[in-house]
Amino acid sequence: MLVTVAQAIVNGLLIGGIYALVSIGVTLIFGVVKIVNFAQGEFLMIGMYITFFLATGLGVDPLLSLLISMPVLFVAGVLLQKFMIRRVLGLGDMPQIFLTFALSLLLMNVALLLFSANYRTVQTGYAQQSIQIGPLYFGAARLIAFVLAMLLSVGLEIFLRATDLGKAMRAAAQNRDVAMLMGVNPDRVFGVAVGLSLALAGAAGSLLMPFYPVYPTVGQVFTLMAFVAVVLGTLGNVRGALIAGLMMGMAESLGIQFIGADSGMIVVFVMLLLTLALRPSGLFGGRTI
Amino acid sequence: MAALVLIALPLVVSSSFAIDIFIRVLLFAFIGVAWNLLGGYAKQLSLGHAAYFGLGAYTSTILLIKFGISPWIGILAGGVVAMLASLPIGALCFRLQGPYFAIATIATAQTLMLLFLKFRDFAWGAEGTTIPNQGNSPLMMQFDAKAAYYYIALVLLALGLAITYWIERSWMGYYLVALGEDQDAAEAVGVNVPRIKRDVYLISAFLTALAGTFYVQYIYFIDPNTVFSFNISVEPALVSIVGGIGTLWGPVVGTILLEPTSALVQSWLGGARGGVQLTLYAVILIVVIMWQPKGLLGVLTGAYHRVFRPASRSLHG
Repeated sequence: MLVTVAQAIVNGLLIGGIYALVSIGVTLIFGVVKIVNFAQGEFLMIGMYITFFLATGLGVDPLLSLLISMPVLFVAGVLLQKFMIRRVLGLGDMPQIFLTFALSLLLMNVALLLFSANYRTVQTGYAQQSIQIGPLYFGAARLIAFVLAMLLSVGLEIFLRATDLGKAMRAAAQNRDVAMLMGVNPDRVFGVAVGLSLALAGAAGSLLMPFYPVYPTVGQVFTLMAFVAVVLGTLGNVRGALIAGLMMGMAESLGIQFIGADSGMIVVFVMLLLTLALRPSGLFGGRTI
Repeated sequence: MAALVLIALPLVVSSSFAIDIFIRVLLFAFIGVAWNLLGGYAKQLSLGHAAYFGLGAYTSTILLIKFGISPWIGILAGGVVAMLASLPIGALCFRLQGPYFAIATIATAQTLMLLFLKFRDFAWGAEGTTIPNQGNSPLMMQFDAKAAYYYIALVLLALGLAITYWIERSWMGYYLVALGEDQDAAEAVGVNVPRIKRDVYLISAFLTALAGTFYVQYIYFIDPNTVFSFNISVEPALVSIVGGIGTLWGPVVGTILLEPTSALVQSWLGGARGGVQLTLYAVILIVVIMWQPKGLLGVLTGAYHRVFRPASRSLHG
């Protein structure tokens, strides 16, 4: 019994690393640009397809394709900010919500047109291996994904605290007007924020590919997870999103283990509704990125 | 005049494909009108109205199949269930604003879908059920003639528009616009914001549930993936935005543009490749949001004023 619980927690924690990466991306865009990106999961989907085609076409290992998916999505993010998001800033809720929502719809359905609804997987040497520590099993692909996800999260945290651009980003998140008066160029900061956020989604896609199939609507569940995690972890709070992302993974895994295979999401949604009822400002209220 | 055309339409048009499109236009315009009360006037952008569509559909179907109660009673019961459900859901979701309200509503609709998928003893689970066909029995809301469904949908839409028209001109309408413009300012001048949100949500949920019952009676089938589908939540928002959000006729104009287009696209391509219809919707939505946020109705009235009344620029904008 105890082992079952522990194993479920381990499994949840490992997939939680991916949720955390997607959630950090959502919370970073929200914190800096004040936009909720409904298409975050679709950028993960694009990262997965990039990884898939690199692996099947050129034989590139999924983990190596991180070096391609991240820069490609970073550039996509900068362009997204420059040509779309910038135009709806300050126009109220409707355009801001429905622009990225429409983008999500567009990407999902273009993927469906191009790649059909088939599930695609990549086989790697390490996908089936696992490491045993005591009575617990750690799937190798999941463990690598988790470790790299944590390294990327720490990397982002260091970037935000130690570099000028990162500090400018935090300043813009705290008070956009004052930051601009202090000479922060909002276009540049916003572009980098959206770019980094999409790069994280791309990384999550590449890390996921060795142990998760890709299909056009794969992103939806990750977007939903991320939304719950950013509400739970307080909107705009990067560390909150990280911790909440890991919690979502464990909650989902325990739900699947003890309530039934189709119940993971119920647990997640109930967590969201409970958070809203009991602590609507999230668990880490007050702090921003 | 327009009303006469609408009433005569099924008598002149015999193609059942065309009548089917008309029915879908009326139905989705009606859901759009119901959504628009909350999403357009009060600017509370719900993406979870499938919750009420599904509750309405399941309430009337359970009453019909398990208790033999006519869907005419079921449709009202469904509306009441939806109103009751909107109270706790609203109490939770209205704690959040803007995008996070939208997310919370998605979560409630998805949770209901998962619950109905899971509890098979209670409501047939994932397989759903067909609604027993009893031939032409008007008392059971079942008809041989498609025209009958057309008229029901027409009445529903007329009801939705009448309620919207009435609200627009009542105190509630002014309160709604005030809270949509600036919630804090509205509160400061004495608008009871939580109450007005709750009331408009009750009405919106009730109307959406009516559409749910009508829809399953029309297609003779119910399952969680159909009636709690995310598309059901998205479509009313889409038609309202494309037509003109927060206007009486906006959702109707939007549906008239989108619904036949998508039906035609689907029949041309024969559904060979999924995704064309929604790709088209997404592109239209992006174009409208980035270049014409007032929607098609905004374009039309703008053009009208330029052509016919160049001197008097409308005060209503």
